Amino acid sequence: MQTVANIVVLAAIYALIGSGYVLIYRVSRVLNLAQGELMMLVAYLLFSLATLFGGHPASALAGAVLLSLLVGFVLYVVLMRRMTGELVIAAVLVTIALGILLRGLMVLVWTGQMQRPLEKLGWQNPPVALGQGVAMSSVALATIFFAIAIYVALFVFFRYTAWGVRMRAVGENPLLAAQRGIKLHVAYAMAWALATFTGGCAGMLLALDSGLDGTMAIVGLKAFPVVLVGGLDSLRGAVVGAIVVATAEVLAIQLIDPLVSDVVPFVVLIAMLAVRPWGLFGTEEEIQRV
Amino acid sequence: MTMKRNQVMLAVVLGALVSAPPAAALAADSYVLGLTGDLTGRDSANSGAVADGIRIYFDRVNRAGGINGHKVEVVVRDNQSEPSRAATDAQTFVNNEDLLLMITASLSSTYAPTISESKRKGVPVLFAGGVCPREVFPPSPDPLLFCTSGYAAETDVKFAVDYIQSVQANATLGLISMAIPISRGSLDQAAAYAKGKGMKVIGHESAPPPTANYTPYATKLKESGADWVLSWAPWVTQVKTFEALRQLGWKGRFISYGHNVAEEELKRIKDPGFLVFTTNAMFSDGQPVHKDVLGAAEGKTKFPPTYLNEGWVAAMVLESALKKAGWPANRAKLASAMSELSVDLRGLRGGPITWSKANHYRQQLFYRVYGWDGAGNRIKTLQDWTSREVK
Amino acid sequence: MAYASGYFKTDYAMELRLIETRWQKVSAALFFLALAVFPLAAPQFAIGIANQVFIAIVGAAALMLLTGYAGQISLGHAGLLAAGALTTGILFKELGATFWISLPASAAVGAALGLLFGLPSLRLKGLYLAITTLALHFVVAFIGGEYETRRGFSTGILVNPPALGGFALQEQQHWYFVLLAIAAAAMLFCINLLRSRTGRALMAIRDHDIVAESLGIPVRRYKLLIFVVSSTMTSVAGCLLAYYRGFVSIEAFSLYLTIDYVAMVIIGGLGSMLGVVLGALFVITFPYVIEGLLRILPIPAGIANEIFAINYAAFGLVMILFLVFEPLGLVGIWRRVRNYFLLWPYRQTAVGGGGG
Repeated sequence: MQTVANIVVLAAIYALIGSGYVLIYRVSRVLNLAQGELMMLVAYLLFSLATLFGGHPASALAGAVLLSLLVGFVLYVVLMRRMTGELVIAAVLVTIALGILLRGLMVLVWTGQMQRPLEKLGWQNPPVALGQGVAMSSVALATIFFAIAIYVALFVFFRYTAWGVRMRAVGENPLLAAQRGIKLHVAYAMAWALATFTGGCAGMLLALDSGLDGTMAIVGLKAFPVVLVGGLDSLRGAVVGAIVVATAEVLAIQLIDPLVSDVVPFVVLIAMLAVRPWGLFGTEEEIQRV
Repeated sequence: MTMKRNQVMLAVVLGALVSAPPAAALAADSYVLGLTGDLTGRDSANSGAVADGIRIYFDRVNRAGGINGHKVEVVVRDNQSEPSRAATDAQTFVNNEDLLLMITASLSSTYAPTISESKRKGVPVLFAGGVCPREVFPPSPDPLLFCTSGYAAETDVKFAVDYIQSVQANATLGLISMAIPISRGSLDQAAAYAKGKGMKVIGHESAPPPTANYTPYATKLKESGADWVLSWAPWVTQVKTFEALRQLGWKGRFISYGHNVAEEELKRIKDPGFLVFTTNAMFSDGQPVHKDVLGAAEGKTKFPPTYLNEGWVAAMVLESALKKAGWPANRAKLASAMSELSVDLRGLRGGPITWSKANHYRQQLFYRVYGWDGAGNRIKTLQDWTSREVK
Repeated sequence: MAYASGYFKTDYAMELRLIETRWQKVSAALFFLALAVFPLAAPQFAIGIANQVFIAIVGAAALMLLTGYAGQISLGHAGLLAAGALTTGILFKELGATFWISLPASAAVGAALGLLFGLPSLRLKGLYLAITTLALHFVVAFIGGEYETRRGFSTGILVNPPALGGFALQEQQHWYFVLLAIAAAAMLFCINLLRSRTGRALMAIRDHDIVAESLGIPVRRYKLLIFVVSSTMTSVAGCLLAYYRGFVSIEAFSLYLTIDYVAMVIIGGLGSMLGVVLGALFVITFPYVIEGLLRILPIPAGIANEIFAINYAAFGLVMILFLVFEPLGLVGIWRRVRNYFLLWPYRQTAVGGGGG
């Protein structure tokens, strides 16, 4: 039973991180490889805000959420907007370069030491017993909750709100969307803001659960196979991908050998690429073939 | 517009290339040492603190007039624990004719390039703060390689296993390492050693360096019924596995190597079941040398001053070696001075560092086990200095 | 200037010449003379950097063939370099193999990997291909890690300097000439390959594969061919790297190395062999330049270690600036500067991208 709980927690983490990749890719066809650094940045912002408003955890959290939206928005306006019309690989490379820049700046400001935003917020992280000997930390439980809440909110947003529909239209066919009067740059900027926010949530929750140091950016990259398995442009795919990869990983640790857990996501990925290169829920037209 | 900007940039870049050959501007009337360390990479909390300790120590030495009347200059380069960067650093260092010795403060992945460059030009290397490489151990160490680091894979884990057995003879032991060769290898040895001593070893888990959640590893350890868990790995793996175990309601005891972050971490975790074994005395000892470090570090490092012990030890040893090598010193003289050296560490460790031709590590290792005293709300010594012959 | 001002070719032999005018002959001679004199005058430090640039040129040229000319994106470059280096390291440790065995063996391993992982390139394009090549990286890294752990080389495999006809390559100066020759040979090979039928076919595939197919170019065969050629060259670069560094450690071949190489071809300028040289030079020297700049500035001792974080961030920043403001790369700048002088006193107005 504990194994199932572990799978759910890991899947929730992967799904949250993965949503950031999907949001940006779906709307703008850019693969944001700075996702790991962005989630780390948001977590560090939370840490600094928590240090600043020691006694007001709620305002620190709210501030971090607002800042995450702002960071994503500003990044698009200042940087990624200029890459429209360039080669996709160039845009992807810009995100890689952005990651390097951010990592350097974060070491500069926060050093590589382990930081613990949870303590700065003045909170504890007691274990929660779920019966039948199953336990998980409070933050892990919160992670599951937020993953579900954010995904539900995203589904509602894309299905029922005007801007959600517009963003989907932009992702589908930017030219037609622009001709219908949808402001492309606004849609792209919103995608970046939202992606930084959802990724940032993953970063904040991870940091609250087990601390924050320079390795978080690599965790962000680990979620990369998740979105590929699910399909780069499908939120539903990211959820399923997260569950598939998390299950494979946890079972590999539990039943085979922990050593293979690092390789397992990529094995799943290669298998997927061989059978359905566009992922479980991705759009098939995506793949250009000779 | 863009063209002008680019031209300006090009001019700046070219200008810098011509005008600034790094490390060439050093005065040759000082002792020049080169440090390649992980200052911005994944081990920067550990290695960066070592570099800071060495820098702060020699700053003070220089202000007091230097060694043999000459200042010590430490050229620092960042290798991010990336072997290729370390290779470049080492190359730069060995080709600087004034440079006497290289200091390495980063993960073991950077050792091979450093050793390979050191051999090409006969430059002695001091490993400080990272694990000691096999080449410094008796009976026939490499004549150029020396190590002051507190930890040494094999001896460490054997001590820990012995300690566990002395506390609880019938312990069921679980092991958790980081999936890097040095950590995996050491705990494999620990498993074999513990089995040889008749202990029940129930498994060896190995978590990859970036792990989002340690609970699956903890679950496996808990479900296999371990009442003791031994870890010898970078701090992240040790402490995160422990915390995940506690979240699952595990009641056993966890013993791990005490890196320089351990003192602050013990104070944070406050769990009597979390023990660290280490060769460095904690600042809670309150020896004069500890007050010394705290005073000198004031405002000069971003790290808590208790992180500085490894760097301080390395710098103390280097100071004696340079003193002994005299002036003017060269690489060969320094290496030979180091191969017959004994340095009293004034309470930073349990005993001196003594090097001989047959041993560039130390003759005896002194371990202490620290834990948390819940009632007294302070760090307590669970087992005082225990010496181990290094063979 | 060194360029012919018109089209003066009167026979096929002239068409095949690489050097067209007397001026070009003179400037090429001067260039090689400068390269030959460099190690005699420059400090050891600079020669070391030059050597790294030469190895990078071999690796970047291979990537340029694949990405810049054939339009195939690869993220497995570090994996292929690692494959070459590992082959060298393993052969040296297990069999005591010499340079003349390891080099062709590395090439063969590279070719085999290229064939194996090139097969998906027949079906996939763009990002999906990149991801397949990423798998290559992880497979090689896994194998390398297992080998090092199992055999107890946990801090890396030390490789002795290669002996070329009884002469051990150890000094930077000696390496310099060997690596210069190899880099020049690699460049010449690529330039000539690109001038041939194969090169033209590759560029046609890059620009429009369906049109290429309808022109009778066997698209699949050429794609696979270029994958194999590129992997072989990369693997050879890996072998050189192992010997030059004197060690092999799988941790030296991280994804960041791939990023470095991709940065080289993009910053240099996609679709240009000159870009390979400029990009390799730029990416390798850049950290030293920043370090040099920062060392000029007076830095208080308290933040001495911070300059490394600044250095790191600056690399990202400059890469961003390049990608945003100069998508044609260093070659684009070079061409503009050249045309400025060529056309002086007239001005060039950019027509469709401003390439010369």
